[in-house]
Amino acid sequence: MKNFSHLLIKEIKELVNKQLVISLVFMLFIFNFIGNVTKSEIKKAMAKQKIAVLDLDKSEISKNIIGALNMANFIIEEKSGEKEQVVKELRSSGLDLLVVIPAGFGQEVSNFRPGEVETYSYLKGISMTGSRKSEIVKALLQTTNEFLSNEYLKKKLPDLDPKLLKAPIKSREFVVVRDRMAEGSTSAVIGSLYAQSFILPVILMMIIMYSSQMVITAIAMEKQNKTLETLLTVPISRTAVVMAKMLAAGIVGLLSAAIYMYGFRNAFSFNTGDIAKAMSGVAPILKQLGLTITTQGYALFGISLFLTILVALSLATILGVLAEDYRTAQSLTVPLVFLVLVPYFVSLFADINTMSLPAKILVLAIPFSHPFFAVQNIMFGHLNMLWLGIVYNFLFVVVMLYWTTKIFSTDRVLTMKLKWGKRKVVL
Amino acid sequence: MAVVLEVEGLKKKYGSLEALKGISFKVEEGEIFGLIGPNGAGKTTTLRIIATLLTPSDGKVTFLGFDLKKHPEKFREKISYLPEEAGAYRNMKGIDYLNFMAKFYAKDEAEVREFVERAKRICGLGERLKDKVGTYSKGMTRKLLLARALMTKPALAILDEPTSGLDVINSLEVREMIKGFTREGVSVLLSSHNMLEVEFLSDRVALIDRGEILDSGTPQGLKEKYQASNLEIVFRSAVQ
Repeated sequence: MKNFSHLLIKEIKELVNKQLVISLVFMLFIFNFIGNVTKSEIKKAMAKQKIAVLDLDKSEISKNIIGALNMANFIIEEKSGEKEQVVKELRSSGLDLLVVIPAGFGQEVSNFRPGEVETYSYLKGISMTGSRKSEIVKALLQTTNEFLSNEYLKKKLPDLDPKLLKAPIKSREFVVVRDRMAEGSTSAVIGSLYAQSFILPVILMMIIMYSSQMVITAIAMEKQNKTLETLLTVPISRTAVVMAKMLAAGIVGLLSAAIYMYGFRNAFSFNTGDIAKAMSGVAPILKQLGLTITTQGYALFGISLFLTILVALSLATILGVLAEDYRTAQSLTVPLVFLVLVPYFVSLFADINTMSLPAKILVLAIPFSHPFFAVQNIMFGHLNMLWLGIVYNFLFVVVMLYWTTKIFSTDRVLTMKLKWGKRKVVL
Repeated sequence: MAVVLEVEGLKKKYGSLEALKGISFKVEEGEIFGLIGPNGAGKTTTLRIIATLLTPSDGKVTFLGFDLKKHPEKFREKISYLPEEAGAYRNMKGIDYLNFMAKFYAKDEAEVREFVERAKRICGLGERLKDKVGTYSKGMTRKLLLARALMTKPALAILDEPTSGLDVINSLEVREMIKGFTREGVSVLLSSHNMLEVEFLSDRVALIDRGEILDSGTPQGLKEKYQASNLEIVFRSAVQ
C-alpha cells in the first residue's frame, strides 16, 4: 500500500505537468473570451434598438403601429420622403431595419382589405442583433394583425367573442408517464427535462475522453522515456502499477473535465439558476409525473458512470501498451473518441427506446453508452435496462481489468506493438 | 564463494524464433559475471528474464534459493536492473528521481536518506542533481541510472550494456563505479558487445552466440585456452 500511494503520487505529478496546466489555463482564457463576446452580443440584441420607420400613410392605424413599435423596445427614427430614396440612404447609415407603411394602408385596413407593410433588413454580417430585429418586427406585425382582425370581427359580429370565433376548440393537455398523469404542456415537460439534461452528455464525454487520454499518455510516456522496464522491475506488484496509472489518470481526467466544464458553463452562460428559473413552472408537473431523480436514482447513475470510467481506463491502458511513443498514443485515442461520440449524438438527437432492435443492440454494445441513457432510464422507470447496462459494464470491467493486469504480468507489456505501417498488432 | 544466481537450461521462444536454446551459468557472491556476444546473441533476453520482465519458455532460474517462476517478487526486492536504453523521468529533478526509486526498496525514511546519499556519492553529479533529468546529457543520465541501480546495495545488479552510447571519459568513469561497488559485496551480471570492456570488468565471462553459451571461464583462463591476446580473438575462435 505504501508503494502504491508512492507510485500514485508520482503518476499524478507526471500527468499534471506544465503542458497540461498551460493548456487548461489557455482553454479557460478562450472560453472566457467566447463568453464575453457572446454576452456582449446578447446584451446588444436585448438593448433598445434603433429602427427607421417611413410612414407614408399617416393614418390613425399607422400611428397605432408606430406606437406599438415604440412599446416593443425600439427607438423609432421617423423618416420622410420617397421610399426609394429612404431605402438607398439607409444603406450607408448605422440603422439596419426599415419599416415602410405605404400610403392608403389605413384605408385598406378600414375597408377590411389586406394592407401591406414592408420591412427592409440591411444585413451587414451574421449576428444575433440583426436576426432578432426582423423576428421582433414579424411578431409585432402578427400582433397588429390579431388586433385588426379582432376589431373587424367585433364590428361584424358584435355579440360574439372574436377569440372564440378564431379558436372554437379549447384544449386541455395531459401528460402521461407510466401510471401517472398530470395536466400540463408536453413541450414544456420535454423542454424542462432537456434543459436539465442537455449538459450531461457533454460532461460524460469530457470525463471519458480526458481520462482515457491521460492513461494512454501516461503509459506511452513511460515507453518513450524508456522508464517502463525499470518500473516493472521494482518491488511493487504489476496490478498496483496498472491501478496506480488508472487511478491517477481517472483523478486528473476528472479534474480536467471539471475545469473544462467550468469554462464551458461560463462561456455559454449555463448555470443552475437558469434551470431553476425554467423549471419553476413545470416542477410540480414533473413531480406529479415522477420525473425526478431520487437518491437511489443518483446512486445508480453514479455506479453506471463509475463502471464506464473503469471501462474507459482499462481500454485506454491496453491501447497505451500498444503505443510506442506519445505521438502514436495520441492517434490511438481516436477509436475511443468515436466510441464515445456514438452514444453522445444518439442521446442528443434520438430516443434509444424507439430505435430499431439491431441499431439499439449496436449502440448498447458500446459500454460508454449506458450512463448516457441512465438518467432517462431512471426517470422513465426503465430500470431493467439500467440494471442490464450496469451488469454489462461490470462484466466488461472485470474482463478488461483481468486482461490489462494479465498483459502487465507477461511479456506482452513489452512486446505488444501497433505497427501503423503494416497495420498489424504484434503480440 | 556462495552462489547468488543459478541459471539452468534457460530457453526463450518468440513464436518460431528460439532466442535462447538452453543456457546455463552461475553467478557467485561479490563477483562480476559478464555475458559477451554480438547483437542478437541473447544477452538482453537473458538479463530481462532474470530481471522478471520476460517469462522463460523453459529452464530454471534460482536466485538466493528462490525460484523465478514461483517468487518473482523476491527477485525484484533484491535485484537492480539497468536496461540498455533506460531513461529517467524527464520532468523530475535528479535528486527526486533517486528519492522516488529509493522509496520502493527502503524500510523507512532513514533508509531512503541512506540510499540517496550513497547514490549521490556513486554518480558524482553534485549540484546538477537539483536540475531536471530532461536537462542531463546522455552520460549524466547513465551515471544517475547506474547510481539508482547500485544505491540499494542489491544482492545482484544486472547491467545491460552499462556504457552504451557513452564517450570514452564517461565510459571509464562508469567502469570504475561498477568495479568499485563489487568491493562492497554486490554481485554484478553484465552484458556487453564491447569485449574489451567486459575483459576489464569481469571476474568470469560467458561467450554467448545465437542463444547458446559457447564457453565460459575467467578472462585469463579463456585467453590461455584459446591462445589469444584478448577476448575478441577468444570469441572469434570459439565461434569458429
